[in-house]
Amino acid sequence: MKVPWNPFDWNDRGPCIKVIVRHTDDEIRMGVGLDYPEPVAVTALLDTGAQTTIINSVLATTRKLTMTDANIPARGIGGRCFCDEYACSISFPESDLPPIPTTRILARKFEDENYACLIGRDIMKFWKLQFDGRAKCVIITP
Amino acid sequence: METATPLDAELRVFEANRERWSREHRGKFVVIQGDAILADFFDEYADAFRAGLARFGVGRSFLVKQIWRTEPVYFIA
Repeated sequence: MKVPWNPFDWNDRGPCIKVIVRHTDDEIRMGVGLDYPEPVAVTALLDTGAQTTIINSVLATTRKLTMTDANIPARGIGGRCFCDEYACSISFPESDLPPIPTTRILARKFEDENYACLIGRDIMKFWKLQFDGRAKCVIITP
Repeated sequence: METATPLDAELRVFEANRERWSREHRGKFVVIQGDAILADFFDEYADAFRAGLARFGVGRSFLVKQIWRTEPVYFIA
């Protein structure tokens, strides 16, 4: 999969892919109920600085994901914060990347509305990634 | 700042057992709902979550927590 990325353009948002974050396959098999919303694809930034993947908490609550931990400490350039954790499956539409049927994901409110998800190293560890600045792209190989 | 969550009761149970579990089951995942603790400890989050679903079903959250003596801090930049 080839993802556009132009490091020579200050307005470039960074390498982004579409992801679908939804209930785990086991929850769907057990029947999470008709009240649960249909999954939607959202924009995710490939963030090599993120130790773990994190989504906007608005996405977690509107998708009605199952919370499995709370008040998890995290820190970044903006300082320290606390995140909740949810169980989910993650798939990658418009790509040949295999889905992750069950994983944990952190959630907190994002300031940046360009992304609903930051893909961290916990997911990137499954891929081969080539950041090619001269070719202005990132190549992701499963 | 930490806030009240739907898993407060489960986190209290976890904290009450953290010291002992961190000696006996370090790095494993434990599953708790209310006062109920699954007897098994798990190497993988996915296995722990599946076991929690099998025991508690869907519809109400349960805690799935990896056991460390001190809480790890994730770095997200």
